[in-house]
Amino acid sequence: MSTTTTNDVAIEYRDICKAYGEKSVLEHLNLRIPRGEFITMIGSSGSGKTTALKMVNRLIEPTSGTVLVDGHDVRETDPIRLRRNIGYAIQGSVLFPHMTVEENISYVPNLLNKHDHERTRKAVRTWMDIVGLPCDLLERYPSELSGGQQQRVGIARALAASPDILLMDEPFGAVDEITRGQLQVEISRIHRETGITVMFVTHDIGEALRLGTHVLVLDEGKVQQYGASEEILARPATAFVEQLVSRQRHACDLPEDQLCACTHSGAARARAALAAM
Amino acid sequence: MLAQSWDLLVQRWDFFWGLLLEHMEICLVAVLIAIVFGGIAGILISEYQKAAKPTLAVVNFLYTIPSISMLGFLIPFSGVGDATAIITLTVYALLPMVRSTYTGMTNVDPAIMEAARGMGGTRMQTLVRVQLPLALPVIMSGIRNMVTMTIALGGIASFIGAGGLGVAIYRGITTNNAAMTVAGSLLIAVLALVVDAILGFVEKRMRARGAKSHRTNRRLAIGAAAACAAVALGATVPGALAGTGGIIHVATKPMTEQYVMGEALKMLIEHDTNLKVELTEGVGGGTSNIEPAMESGQFDLYPEYTGTGWAMVLKNEGTYSEGEFDQLQAGYQELGMSWVGMYGFGNTYGMAVRKDVAEKYNLKTYSDLARVADHLTLGAEADFFEREDGYDALCNTYGMSFGNTMQMDIGLKYDALAQGSVDAIVIFTTDGKLSTADATVLTDDKGFFPSYQCGNVVRDQVLQQHTELRGVLEKLQGTISEQDMARMNYEVEEEGKDPKTVAEEFLRSKGLI
Repeated sequence: MSTTTTNDVAIEYRDICKAYGEKSVLEHLNLRIPRGEFITMIGSSGSGKTTALKMVNRLIEPTSGTVLVDGHDVRETDPIRLRRNIGYAIQGSVLFPHMTVEENISYVPNLLNKHDHERTRKAVRTWMDIVGLPCDLLERYPSELSGGQQQRVGIARALAASPDILLMDEPFGAVDEITRGQLQVEISRIHRETGITVMFVTHDIGEALRLGTHVLVLDEGKVQQYGASEEILARPATAFVEQLVSRQRHACDLPEDQLCACTHSGAARARAALAAM
Repeated sequence: MLAQSWDLLVQRWDFFWGLLLEHMEICLVAVLIAIVFGGIAGILISEYQKAAKPTLAVVNFLYTIPSISMLGFLIPFSGVGDATAIITLTVYALLPMVRSTYTGMTNVDPAIMEAARGMGGTRMQTLVRVQLPLALPVIMSGIRNMVTMTIALGGIASFIGAGGLGVAIYRGITTNNAAMTVAGSLLIAVLALVVDAILGFVEKRMRARGAKSHRTNRRLAIGAAAACAAVALGATVPGALAGTGGIIHVATKPMTEQYVMGEALKMLIEHDTNLKVELTEGVGGGTSNIEPAMESGQFDLYPEYTGTGWAMVLKNEGTYSEGEFDQLQAGYQELGMSWVGMYGFGNTYGMAVRKDVAEKYNLKTYSDLARVADHLTLGAEADFFEREDGYDALCNTYGMSFGNTMQMDIGLKYDALAQGSVDAIVIFTTDGKLSTADATVLTDDKGFFPSYQCGNVVRDQVLQQHTELRGVLEKLQGTISEQDMARMNYEVEEEGKDPKTVAEEFLRSKGLI
């Protein structure tokens, strides 16, 4: 990989290693993420994906190597200024429980500009609209929202200051299957509409392949494969990746009316089993 | 008992109301200081975790010091009075405050803290906007406990001459007025419960969410602040306006007769001069706490007993007799104090026998008693049999040997004497019950017991500043006999009269006011 940085690179990892004592969690990570990409990071727990993510906003410092954001070494950037330009959404309900929806979403804008309340107010309503929440929820507290609504507020909060980069750490991990599907559609649309660079950590390979323009597969701190979704599916680079994507490789996505034409489909096999009874 | 206390509360509401206000003032100041400093300490140790253990160890240690010793330690530094009381209460209030703040701050969900950090809040912003509000419920319940505890503990403040409801409790104890003790205790309990209920309401309001309850909260907070300001103003302004003429600070010991003398001094001085008297009654520890406060100028004047001054203040050895008064006066001169106005009574140990016994054996002196002691039974409190200058020394001096001795509580001695279960008792010469007892007080013909004549100890500086004071105090010279004092003690302790009333009747009977 080239060591020169161009304007099109939003995030770059240069030979990143991270160890906690004897235990190594990331080994020689090199990666360049072009502006406007939607990178999904997948791996089993302990694979180092969250560690890599948190290095971007300096919640974790690497043991060696350099992380560059917009071509600047993050160690030489004031962490407060750095973070205010990077949206951050994490798993579970980590909205501030003592603040209303409106106060939650305007948290970062209020840190940035303390005086222009009208602008903040408008921005909050715009973001409510974008994440698909009705404005009558603005005065509610997080405990009065459903899990899906909480996640949407979390996304709106992460995006409210219009950052260039959005870091998401298993943001949909705690919601049900149907809501997760809806949220995935929403985040894809937001990515398309805003052109923001997204780093998205997940342990659901389906989600990783569906959302990511590029997918990074990590296992035990080492990069297994990095490439477009199709590439991962078509040519798994290691046994680990192959096992990871095996279900997706075997799925055939036939339309409903042709589902039984293929005898290997789940529906056809179930029907055959019933007939044999 | 409750009915008596209730009557007392109603009759003397002004007195209790004043004490209640003082109690609230002292506790409020202590609580506010503890909230500010304890809160800051709690926040700091949650930010700098390394300091947490040693800090908590220190406040824990302070908390384990018994309050009486704490007051004792502080008196040399901050004197007697409100300051020491407030410091003590603050020290005890610190532990619950520091601990609840620390617990509240460190128990905030770390994921939320990381989210706040990750979104680019500075340390201060994260602290003020996220961590502190989330820790507030825990801190608030800590404050609630702390306030209740402070109000209850505040009762002890009177032992070192501070105000508050403890004054009523202590006065009740020392003047045998149980109804007053109960009334003071009840008011403390009621105050604690009411304040706890108010704080509970505040806690509930703070949990209430939504824009509407926020508006209500704001209105309630403004109302409460206004009420507090009004109370504070009401408590301080009259005091500030009063301070025009000179003020004489008079202290008394926790003894019935001293309460009476204190009131008499106040009345007489204010009657005869333009001076104001600020009376600090029943200072716990008596001489050992009042005397240092005299030296530091906190008190100007207090009734003292010659024998006590001789032994405890001048630290002379041997038995004091009134022949040594000039030496006593000279010793006090070096401390910048004088004895002015000797009342004429002594409060010392004495021996009394039942009248019929006195008549039967024709007893007038201790030497007479010694002749027949082996036929008699002596009653005295345990202390008298224990102390060096007590029973054994008395027997040696007079060659006495009682047929039998009985150890009994002070309050029971007179009953035992009347019932005939003892024939002679050891008394204090101004015991209230002595004035009505069917007893003859014998003369200490060999001067075994030290003399404890009562007189006023005054700071010379005050005598020079207010030259009119000496004349007033000299008016009291020789005005009270032992019988007079015993009768006045009786009126307070047994008839339940107010010391102030007794003092006023005394002054009028002597034509002094």
